Amino acid sequence: MLSWVLDHLVDSRVGAAELAQRLTAVGFNVELREPVAGGAAGDEVWEVDITTNRVDAMNHRGLAREAAAAGGGTLRPLAVNVVEGGAPVRDLAQVVVEDADGCPRYCARVVRGVKVGPSPPWLASRLAACGVRPINNVVDATNYVLLDLGQPLHAFDLDLLAGREVRVRRGSAGEVLRTLDGVERQLAGEDLIIADARRPIALAGIMGGADTEIRAETRDVLLESATFHPRRVRRTAHRLGLKTEASHRFERGADRTMARTAVDACAALIARLAGGEVALGVLDSAPEVVQAPEISFSLARLAAFAGFGVPVEFVLTVLQRLELAPVRHGDVVTCTVPPFRGDLELPEDLYEEILRHWGYDRLPAVLPPATGGPGQRLGFWPVTERARRALVAVGAAEAITYSFVDGELEALMAASPLGQRGEPVPLINPLSSRTSVLRRSLLAGLAEAAAANLRRGASSVLLGEVGRAFFATEAGVREEERAALVLAGEVGSWEERRGADFFDLKGLVEGFLAAWGGQSVQWRPASCQLLAGGEGAEIVLAGEVAAVAGRLGAAAAGKLDVATPLWVAEVDLSALGEVAPVTFEPLPRFPAVTADLTVRHDVKLTYQELVRAIWAAAPAWLAEVTPVVRYRGEGVAASEVKTTLRLTYRHSDRSLTQEEVNIAHFAVMERLAADLGVRFD
Amino acid sequence: MAVPQLETIRAEFDAALLAAGSDPRRLEEVRIRFAGRRSGVLQSLEEQLKGLPREEKPVFGKALNELKRHILARLEEARAAAGSGEERQALDVTLPGRTPRLGAVHPVTLVRREIEEIFLRMGYSVADGPEVEDDWHNFEALNIPPDHPARDTQDTFYLPGGLLLRTHTSPVQIRAMESMPLPIRIIIPGRVYRRDSDLRHSPMFHQVEGLVIGEGVTFANLKATLEAFVHVLFDPALQVRLRPSFFPFTEPSAEVDITCILCRGKGCAMCSGSGWIEILGAGMVDPRVLRACRIDPGRYTGFAFGCGLDRVALLKYGLPDLRLLFSGDERLLRQFVGGGEA
Repeated sequence: MLSWVLDHLVDSRVGAAELAQRLTAVGFNVELREPVAGGAAGDEVWEVDITTNRVDAMNHRGLAREAAAAGGGTLRPLAVNVVEGGAPVRDLAQVVVEDADGCPRYCARVVRGVKVGPSPPWLASRLAACGVRPINNVVDATNYVLLDLGQPLHAFDLDLLAGREVRVRRGSAGEVLRTLDGVERQLAGEDLIIADARRPIALAGIMGGADTEIRAETRDVLLESATFHPRRVRRTAHRLGLKTEASHRFERGADRTMARTAVDACAALIARLAGGEVALGVLDSAPEVVQAPEISFSLARLAAFAGFGVPVEFVLTVLQRLELAPVRHGDVVTCTVPPFRGDLELPEDLYEEILRHWGYDRLPAVLPPATGGPGQRLGFWPVTERARRALVAVGAAEAITYSFVDGELEALMAASPLGQRGEPVPLINPLSSRTSVLRRSLLAGLAEAAAANLRRGASSVLLGEVGRAFFATEAGVREEERAALVLAGEVGSWEERRGADFFDLKGLVEGFLAAWGGQSVQWRPASCQLLAGGEGAEIVLAGEVAAVAGRLGAAAAGKLDVATPLWVAEVDLSALGEVAPVTFEPLPRFPAVTADLTVRHDVKLTYQELVRAIWAAAPAWLAEVTPVVRYRGEGVAASEVKTTLRLTYRHSDRSLTQEEVNIAHFAVMERLAADLGVRFD
Repeated sequence: MAVPQLETIRAEFDAALLAAGSDPRRLEEVRIRFAGRRSGVLQSLEEQLKGLPREEKPVFGKALNELKRHILARLEEARAAAGSGEERQALDVTLPGRTPRLGAVHPVTLVRREIEEIFLRMGYSVADGPEVEDDWHNFEALNIPPDHPARDTQDTFYLPGGLLLRTHTSPVQIRAMESMPLPIRIIIPGRVYRRDSDLRHSPMFHQVEGLVIGEGVTFANLKATLEAFVHVLFDPALQVRLRPSFFPFTEPSAEVDITCILCRGKGCAMCSGSGWIEILGAGMVDPRVLRACRIDPGRYTGFAFGCGLDRVALLKYGLPDLRLLFSGDERLLRQFVGGGEA
């Protein structure tokens, strides 16, 4: 609230817009400015993004301090006047801190004879403007001081405290506390709690208990203003899933001197709002003053760090306004860190204070000196980038799918030699069961994406992805770089559409592998659950299965709810190894002679075996064997197939005569007939 | 005065022309064989004429001329006849061609490569690292000890064995500082994971991060690098604004805003009326981080910066929803055919 900030400033002459802009420039991003509903003309409520390290600025005075340092006025000295009277507080209540590690300081005051009732409008409206619901004048006073000075406080009904005492201790298993929000909380041994002589009465630094809260009939108030250990508050708040204004601040570190200042300010405010008398003195578990740390830095080093010389007068002025008490001796400036700035530890922290107030906009911009030339792609980047380009070159749309998938689908998609290289890695805290396991196969996400395209009515799908598969190992998790393709629906140009088949997929895989140069891979039938029987292949490189390709098997396809066959392939990129360099082969100088060969053979004889036999039988000057046509049907027995091949003969040193080609060609036919039992009719 | 050699050729030509009939392709073959400019029969006869003794030239030359006239005239007649015989149907050239399927690069890849190219030219190398990390590299070495509130903003997916899915690309900074010789100049693109899912958050997304470590690296260097980056990636006319901020692993830290690319600073829904959009986080590497990597902060300084690749892709291409990027929807992906890759 703007007027509240201005309460802490004198001589503030800048307007609201200017102040917001200056705070943003020094790191307190004013994200939203709105007029106060029913408030004074010109007053505004701001939403300020305060970074987690600046808990000191999560209140009006802290923000005013930054505003002052940014030239928005002078910070008004904090004046707290508490009028005490009557009995000494130590006769009225007792504070015992059993866990000083969890609670470095506990301050308490007692206000006797209060009259609980509604707060006056000025206070209620300030709380409401800041999003805090007014409750009664005592509770509102604690919230007001929290928003004003940043110190969380809690008010107990003193008459309800067993033994009229407060103990700060660990909780114990089996203890239960009903908190102010009405929820029964089971306590644990690591929790830091406030208790009276009998039972827990508050979760330290998080929330008070319902049984000791301020009621309409409350007469005596025990006011708590303490410092709790950030980690202890955080652990309990996390365990209980409870986040409050108090816990938010304690988790980020509280100011132990403010514990005392705030208890005075709050007691005085309660006496003002609700009447009553502030008892004499303070119950303070650790009143001793802690030595403030010092940080020294060199002005020369600051200049070298920033890249320019910041004027020394500016350095000293800003540090002074931030209450860091700078003292300069030559090149060295020494600051004393006030207790509210626990975030400052190193010279670099002070460089930041100076530079952000100087203004990042005003800093010079100087490119680093050039290095010895362009950089390089390191690690797996050359391989994965090659794979992406290769996928796109064969026509795939590059997809990026999630690394975590449904466990059942994952198991089905990993049912291949590539997927069975290890156990899957489960997530301990997945968002849902649909994303509960790290994929061992890229197909888990990619086939699902392809199916989604088909379900949306796509007539043709070709997706590719490059990414990692994950396997559980003894030592942890192994990551493998993979590429995958899914082809489905129609292929071919608009006037000759047909359903995709295995050889469309194989062509894509071959085209993909061509990006690695002429690697000699071997295709052989696969027998794995991932692929449909008789329609899947393993691609073997140097004795290892480097890839699988084929029609997605019934189990996996059934889970995806599509009738259209999905043609899938996955490649282990690490198995592809180095890219074979291109070496130029001299162009042929003599003409070639071609001769076709139609072979009628058993379907069990593979094309690979047939062609190998031809190469074995032919003279050294056979240059090429290519398929022309495969024929099954009329005139060919069901167990047979006719394969027509074109043999290209070419000698590198001379022209071949038709006659010597004929002799060689017939010799090939005789050998094939003899060795393979094939016919040529 | 007949020359026998030329008479034979004339007979061969007549026979070939007859055999070709009115087939335009075969007529063209006959033309190339006899009247082709490169190695036609007439061409080689002219070469032969040049080499003849002076006294034989007139007779041979005259007969060759006559043969040439005969061949060219008969070819012309035959072609005319063939042409008039069947009027070819004109093609409808507006029908679609038989285009091979063209691939499409994912928008996140497009943006990543564009960023990589900018930094490769500035001497940065592109590094990678594991997506499954340990607590040290993802948090502790980056000055985020256990129970640090900064862990709240990086909701983490945990794996068995104390491992986790990296919540940012910063652990690769640590790995680089642990293993690479100084000075270091790298960028680190990659997949990262946070336990968060809504219109603006996806449990998996991409970051790219830059790291420069050396002697005499300054805040001014960082500022200039960020400005150069934004100007090349988006538009040199955009204003760049650095705001002080906080990250545990940099000190000082800054958030980098650019002029809203939609409204150009006037204020709109995309920039929540501010005229600025947040695009990068950056800062000078915190000395604690250098020390965790056994680098002497007294001698070396450095800067780091990072941004969300997906967010840049959304901004650059006007995509509405982050999660759309990971849907594998070809209606989206195929819009990037041709890709606009430089």
